Amino acid sequence: MTANPAPSISIDSLTLAYPGKTVLDTVSLDIPRGKITVLAGPNGCGKSTLLRAIRRLHRPVSGRVMLEDIGVADLSEKALARHIGLLAQNPSAPEDMTVEELVRLGRYPHQTMLQRWDSQDTRALEAAMAGTGVTSLRDRPLGSLSGGQVQRVWIAMVLAQETEIVCLDEPVNHLDLAHQLDCLDLVRQLNAEFGRTVVLVLHDLNLAARYADQLVFMRDGGVAAYGTPDDLMTQDLIARVFNVDAMIITDPAYGRPLCLPLRTC
Amino acid sequence: MTPFLPALTATRAPLLLSIMTIATAVLALSGVAFGSSWIPIDRVAAVILGAGDKTQSLIVLQLRLPRVVIAILAGGGMAVAGFLLQKITRNSLASPGVLGVIDGGALGVVIFLAALSDKSNTLVTSIVFQPLAAMAGATLGIAAVFLLSGSQSVSAVRLLLFGIAVGAVAKALVMVMMLVGPIYRTSQAARWIAGAVNEVNWTEIQITALLLLPLLALALAVARKLPPADLDEISARSVGLDLPVFRLLVFAVAAALTAVSVAFVGAIGFVGLMAPHLARLIVGRSMVAGIIGSFLLGAFMLVGADLVVRVLFSPTEVPAGTVTAIIGAPYFLFLLMSKQRHDG
Repeated sequence: MTANPAPSISIDSLTLAYPGKTVLDTVSLDIPRGKITVLAGPNGCGKSTLLRAIRRLHRPVSGRVMLEDIGVADLSEKALARHIGLLAQNPSAPEDMTVEELVRLGRYPHQTMLQRWDSQDTRALEAAMAGTGVTSLRDRPLGSLSGGQVQRVWIAMVLAQETEIVCLDEPVNHLDLAHQLDCLDLVRQLNAEFGRTVVLVLHDLNLAARYADQLVFMRDGGVAAYGTPDDLMTQDLIARVFNVDAMIITDPAYGRPLCLPLRTC
Repeated sequence: MTPFLPALTATRAPLLLSIMTIATAVLALSGVAFGSSWIPIDRVAAVILGAGDKTQSLIVLQLRLPRVVIAILAGGGMAVAGFLLQKITRNSLASPGVLGVIDGGALGVVIFLAALSDKSNTLVTSIVFQPLAAMAGATLGIAAVFLLSGSQSVSAVRLLLFGIAVGAVAKALVMVMMLVGPIYRTSQAARWIAGAVNEVNWTEIQITALLLLPLLALALAVARKLPPADLDEISARSVGLDLPVFRLLVFAVAAALTAVSVAFVGAIGFVGLMAPHLARLIVGRSMVAGIIGSFLLGAFMLVGADLVVRVLFSPTEVPAGTVTAIIGAPYFLFLLMSKQRHDG
């Protein structure tokens, strides 16, 4: 990260608790603009919660999330949906809903009582479907699609929202290897072409290292470390964050760090 | 799957709704024509337009038209309430009948009748307050179901169990009120529980219509905001639907709609379950067409049910609610069984 424009999102001492349990403990983190940030960490470390807190799906106990100089707490639900798109971990829609119907819902935050569907919405709808390669499926019901296709359609919906920030919560869960790569390549392409700031939660450390500009390790509701994958993928850190003895090598194809887990420690 | 399919459905909705309107109107006219004596449709029309002889006027205007009009309002209102509840819970088994709304409303009415009648069984207050009592009871009923079920409310079958439990408590309390209450009130309450559209007078119809129309307008306005409610909670919220707020709003509107619909005719079951399903089958996912379609089909069903009891059981007055229950209950069981397989 050479140039340092203002971060897209600043998280400032965010603390969040469910009844009887603190899930995020004074988390502070900057999400760089136009980059892909990947949140990784062991189960229950709070990475998905942090993602949802950025989108204000949880109310913090204290601390705040700022988009430049606006706090997400001060935005209306629709205004927030014009800034941040979020793809849930296990999104669900009726099986008989068509691809186009679902992608259209991405335009919901841009419509008001007075302003109904217009040419701007049509343009965004078509661009989102074209960008994710689902245009030819537009009239198919979701129930007739494969898992990989469905995930593309959901990404298209988030894309149609035309938000500068896109959050994806474990988007490659339940996808086979080919579709995992497909999906993440698509995310990277959208990041590169449209300059969207992307925040991803990923379980697979090697995928995280391969696609992240900024990698964030979380543990026990806090940020354990953040930086480039090269900075973070060290034997030492991985032992500390994941309790795994691992060997770090450089992947011969892409030159990114690769973690070979050896045993738990 | 041709590319023109969605456009086709979209343009077909107004046509389908027009057909449903005509069918409901024809059935309503037949509802006025049929009875212990047959009055030809043209005579019915003449009476409604201000002509016609005295006997026919009396039969049409005082006996038959009121029950048809209240059946349209009540059936339609309950169907729209059911549509809203099914949408917001994403649960096709939801309806005013199974979520404690109707039984709560019944309790409200029975308490109202018992508490505010004097020794000679006359209400000490205006009848206008009866729908308000029903509303209070209905709102308490649905609130109890959702407060008790808490996070389990996302599960179709769990939500249903809580609804049935709350409904059972309300029913039991109604029973107690009836047994300890005055005799006259007992018969009135019993009629209320079965759900009947006879013996409704024009004052009651006016009250119902005055309360129902703004609520239906509100339901339409709310429904236009609801398309993301087809998605899971997080997805719906992340496209900007303020679901926690909307959920409360929809519950309130649905409870009020149900309460106003049933305030004078009583607990008519299953219309609020079946009409929205049928509407969806016919007009598809569109929210506005769904609301209008539900209203028309609900009206059609209740007018039809009342017509059936009048033709089959005349001169005995059998409550129309029995017909909707005889058809609705097996349908509900069928849904429950197919749902059970689905949930695993």
